[in-house]
Amino acid sequence: MTQINPEEFIVTDFAVREHRSLWGDAWRRLISSNTARLGMFVVILFISSATLSHFFWEYEPKKDLDYSLKLKAPNLTVTEEIPSIHPFGTDKLGRDIFRRVVHGGWNSLRVGIVAVGISLIFGGVIGLLTGFYETITMTTVERITLFGISGFLLGSLSAWIANQPLQLVGFTLLGLVAGYFEGFWAGQLKRVVFFSVLGILISAVPALFAGSSVALVCGVLGLLTGIFLALALDGRFFSNVMMRIMDMILSFPGYLLAIAIVAFLGPGLGKGMIAIGVVGIPVYARLTRSAVLSVVNKEYILAAQSVGESHGRIIFRHITPNILSPIIVQTTMGLANAILSAAALGFLGLGAIPPEPEWGAMLGDSYRYLTSGAWWAVLFPGLAIMLSVLGFNLLGDGLRDALDPKLRT
Amino acid sequence: MKHLLEVKNLETRFYMQDGVVKAVNNVSYTMDRGEILGVVGESGCGKSVHALSMMQLIPYPPGKITNGEVWLDGQDLLTLSEEEMQKVRGREIAMIFQDPMTSLNPVYTVGFQIMEALLLHNNMSRREARDRAGELLELVGIPGAKDRLDDYPHQFSGGMRQRAMIAMGLSCEPKLLIADEPTTALDVTIQAQIIDLVKKLQDELGMAIMWITHDLGVVAELAHTINVMYAGSIVETGKIHNIYKDTKHPYTIGLLGSLPRLDDAPGTELVSIPGLPPDLLALPEGCPFAARCVYRIDKCLAEKPPLVEINGKDHAVACWRWEEIAGMGSR
Amino acid sequence: MTRYIIRRIISVIPTLIGVTFVIFMFQRLIPGDPAIAMLGEHATEDSINRIREQFGLNRPLFLDREALATGDLSGFFDSQYVNYMERLSHLDLGESIHRRIPVLETLKLRFPATVELSLLSMIIAILIGIPVGIISASRRNSLIDSVSMVGSLIGVSMPIFWLGLMEIMLLAVILKWLPAGGRLSTGFEINGITHLYLVDSLLNGDLAGFKDALSHIIMPAVALATIPMGIIARMTRSSMLDVLQEDYIRTARAKGLGGRLVLFRHALKNAALPVVTIIGLQAGTLLAGAVLTETIFSWPGIGRWVYDAILGRDYPIVQGGTLLIALIFVAVNLIVDILYALLDPRIRYK
Repeated sequence: MTQINPEEFIVTDFAVREHRSLWGDAWRRLISSNTARLGMFVVILFISSATLSHFFWEYEPKKDLDYSLKLKAPNLTVTEEIPSIHPFGTDKLGRDIFRRVVHGGWNSLRVGIVAVGISLIFGGVIGLLTGFYETITMTTVERITLFGISGFLLGSLSAWIANQPLQLVGFTLLGLVAGYFEGFWAGQLKRVVFFSVLGILISAVPALFAGSSVALVCGVLGLLTGIFLALALDGRFFSNVMMRIMDMILSFPGYLLAIAIVAFLGPGLGKGMIAIGVVGIPVYARLTRSAVLSVVNKEYILAAQSVGESHGRIIFRHITPNILSPIIVQTTMGLANAILSAAALGFLGLGAIPPEPEWGAMLGDSYRYLTSGAWWAVLFPGLAIMLSVLGFNLLGDGLRDALDPKLRT
Repeated sequence: MKHLLEVKNLETRFYMQDGVVKAVNNVSYTMDRGEILGVVGESGCGKSVHALSMMQLIPYPPGKITNGEVWLDGQDLLTLSEEEMQKVRGREIAMIFQDPMTSLNPVYTVGFQIMEALLLHNNMSRREARDRAGELLELVGIPGAKDRLDDYPHQFSGGMRQRAMIAMGLSCEPKLLIADEPTTALDVTIQAQIIDLVKKLQDELGMAIMWITHDLGVVAELAHTINVMYAGSIVETGKIHNIYKDTKHPYTIGLLGSLPRLDDAPGTELVSIPGLPPDLLALPEGCPFAARCVYRIDKCLAEKPPLVEINGKDHAVACWRWEEIAGMGSR
Repeated sequence: MTRYIIRRIISVIPTLIGVTFVIFMFQRLIPGDPAIAMLGEHATEDSINRIREQFGLNRPLFLDREALATGDLSGFFDSQYVNYMERLSHLDLGESIHRRIPVLETLKLRFPATVELSLLSMIIAILIGIPVGIISASRRNSLIDSVSMVGSLIGVSMPIFWLGLMEIMLLAVILKWLPAGGRLSTGFEINGITHLYLVDSLLNGDLAGFKDALSHIIMPAVALATIPMGIIARMTRSSMLDVLQEDYIRTARAKGLGGRLVLFRHALKNAALPVVTIIGLQAGTLLAGAVLTETIFSWPGIGRWVYDAILGRDYPIVQGGTLLIALIFVAVNLIVDILYALLDPRIRYK
C-alpha cells in the first residue's frame, strides 16, 4: 500500500456559499411574515386611497352642505328619501362620510409624515452629534467652534444687559482663543484667573459707559463666562447639555405639550404638524444617541479613525448605515403615533380647521350626536384612524423582526 | 453497566426557515467513570449542540433531537420526561459554559446561585446550603470565599466567575461534568489556572469530565480520550496518544498541523486547513470534509465513510483512505 | 445606593427649573393679552394698565436692563419670571383669571379625580399587560401568543377618545348598563381623607356609593388603560424573550431548575427592568390621555380643566395644571429610577 504524506497539502476548496445581502435578507424575512404583509397591505391601501382621491376625486369641503340629508344612516341602495348612496352615512351637515373619510386620509397621513420628518431630522442630528462626540475626542477645529459658540451664547446676556452688541464679538473671540489654546496652562489656576480677568475686561470696561451698576453686573457675568471658558469643554459636556434639554421636553407628558404648542401657535393643520414634530424630537434624539453609542466603540470605527478618516466621513459612512435599523423601525411606529396624536389634536379642535376633512376633527364634530343614535358618524372616522395606525404598527413590528438579528429564529 | 455514559446514534436537527440544519449526525461513543474526554472541533461543528442535546437543553423550536439514545448509568436520558430530566440536570450531569460573563444571573448573588442547586437536589436547609456554598467557593480557590457569597457576579473578575461556575457545577457532586469551552473567554494565564484547578478537582472528586474545546493544546494536557468532530459527526476518536502520535483523519492532521509545537525545527511552517466547514443546511452527500481534503477521491464525494475501528487500538476513524495515510507522529 | 439616589434627585433639579421656565414662556407667549382677556374687548386703556400693574404684567419678562442703567439693582431683578418663581416657591399658583378662585384650591378639588382615574387605569394596564406578556413570551409563536400580540397591537393603535365614544354608545346608550359620564350620580356623596371615591367609600363601608363610583369610573379607566396595557404587554414579552435567550437562563436550566422557577425567578426579575421603565413613562401617557378621556366622560379632573383653560387663556390655571402634571411625571420617573436600582445590583453598586 502506498503511503500518502501529510505534508502534501494543496489548497482546494469548493464550499461555495450563496451570497446574501443584508437588506435583501431583511426584505425576505419581512415578506415572509404574515403580520408584516398585512401591515404593508393596510399602509399601501391608505396611502394610495388618500393620494388617489386627493388628485383624482374632486372634493370641495367648503361647498359640501345639504341639510336635507342631515345625519342619515348608511345606505347601499338609492331610495326615494335619499337619492344618493352613502355607504358610511352622512354627518350633521349632510355630508357624505365615506367621501370625507377617504379625503381625510390625505390630511391625517400628511400630518403624520411631516411631523415624523421634523422629529427625525432634528432628533437624528442631535442624537448623531451627541452620541458621537460623547465618545470621540473633538478635532481642534470642532473644539474651537464649540468654544466660540459657547462664548457667543454666554456673552449674549452681558451684551444684552449693557446694550452693547460689540461685547458679543469680544466674547466670541475669547471663546475662539480659549478653544485654540486649549493646552495653555491647562488644568492650572493660572488659566482660570487669566481668562476670568479677560472676561471681566471684555464685559465690564465697555459697560462702564452705561453706568456703574451695569458694569458691576456685567463684570460678574464676564467673570463667570471667563471661568467657564477656561475649563476644558468637551463633547461630553455638549452631549450632557443637549440631553438635559431633551429630558426637559420629555418631562411634558405626550400631547399635553403639543396642545400647549398649538395653543401658542393657534390651531391649524400645519401648526399641528410642527407641534407633534417638536414633541417627538427627544424620542429620536435619545434613540439615535443610544444607537450611536452602541456602535461608536466598535473596532471598525477605531479602524476608520486609525486610517485618518474625517469625523464627518466616519459619521456618514460608518455610523449612519449601522444604526439605520432601529431608526427605520422607530420611524414607522412614529408615523402611527403621529397620526394618533394628530387625530387627538383634531378631536380637541386644535388640528384641521373646519370644514377641512380630518379624521380626528370629524370625530370631534360628530360625537355629540352619538346619544341621538348617529353611531355611523363616529364609527367610521375612528375606524379609519385605528386601522391606519394599526397598519403602521404592524409594519413597524415586522420591520423590527426583519431587521433585528437578535430575534432571528 | 460497564460505561458511565453511552451515546448511540445521536442526531439533532434545527428546523429553520431556510431549511433543516443537521447539527449533530449519528454520534456514538462511550465514556467511563473518572474519564476525561476531550471533544474537539471548529466552532459550529456540533460539539456544543451535542452536549446540550444530552442535557435536553436545545431550544425547541427550532431544535429537536431526532434520533438516538443517551445512556447514563443504565438510564436512557432521552426517554425521560422533562420533570425527570430536571432531577438529572445539576445532580447527575452538570454543565459549565463558555462565557462566565453572561452565564451568571446578574441580579442574584453568587452565593445564592450556588445554593440554588443544593436546595433543589439535596434537600438542604438554607444554612447548610450556604455553608456548603462557602466550602465550594473555597474549593475552587476563591480567596475569602465565605465573605464573597453575598457578592453579585459583576463584582467578580472573569476568572473568578468561571471558578464560581465550576463551584456551581460541582455543588451536587455530579457523575459527569460537561465543560463547554470553559476557558475560551479567559486570558491565557487564567486559562492555565482553570485547567489546573479542574485537574486537581478531578483527582480529588473523581467525576468524569467532558471538556469541549476548539483548542487541541488544551485537551492535550488534560484528556484521556479525544473525540474529533467535524460538521456534526465524529471523524476520529481514540486514546490521546493514538490521536497525537498516530493521527489518521486528514482533518485531525490539519488541526494538529495548525498547532505550533515546541519541538518544531525553527522555520517549520504551520499548516492551515484551506476553506471553510460545510454549510450544515446543505451537507454534502459524501464525507463532509471531502471539499477541503487533499486526499479526496471520487468515493469520498459519493459516500460518507463510517467510523471504523483501527484494530484493537482504542482508536477509530471515519475516512476511506485512513490506511494509506501516514500518521502525524511519523513525520 | 444612598449616593445613587441623592445623585439622581440632584439631577432632577435642572429639569425642574427647565420645566418651570418652559411653562412660564408658554403662558407668556400665547397670543392674546391676558389683561384684555380678563376685561373683555371693550376695556379702557386705563383699566387695562391697572390690571397689568396689579398682576405685574407691565414688568419685563426676565431682567430689567433699563432699571439697572439707572443704578437700581433690585429693580433689575423685578421681572415677571422672578416674581413668578418667587410666588411658586410659596406654592402660590395665582388665581383663575375668569373665576377669581385660587388655582391651588381648584387643583386640590380636581386633582384626586385625575389621580383616581389614572391609578385605576394603571392598575388595570399592569394587571392585564404583564401576565399577557409573560404568557406570550413563554409560549412564543403559539396561538395564544399571536392572539394576544395582535390584541395588544390593536390596543397600542387605539384612538382612546374613539374607544371611549364607542364604549358610551354600546354600554351607556344602547345597553344602558353604565352612566355616560360624571364621577358620581346625583344624590350620592362620598367624603373621606383620600378623596379617591373608590377608596373612601370602601373605608366608610358605603357599598352603594362604591358601586356607583365604580360604574362611573370603569369606562374611562378602561379607555385610558388601553394604550398602556398594550405597551406593557408588548414590552414584557419582548423583554422576556430577550432574557430567555441569555446564557444564565441556560445555566439555571442546567442546574435542574424547572420551567416555572426559571421563568419567574431567573427571567422575570431581569425582564422587569425595562418593563418598570416603560410603566414609568406610561404615567405621562395616562396624565396626557386624561385630557381626552376627561373631555369625553365629563370627568371632573385636571386634564379637562387645563384644556378649557388653554382655550380660555386662563394662564394661571394652565401654568398650575401643566406644572403639576409635569411634576408628577418627573417624580414618577425618579421613583422608577430608584426602583431600577433596587432591582439591578449593577446600578446599585456603581
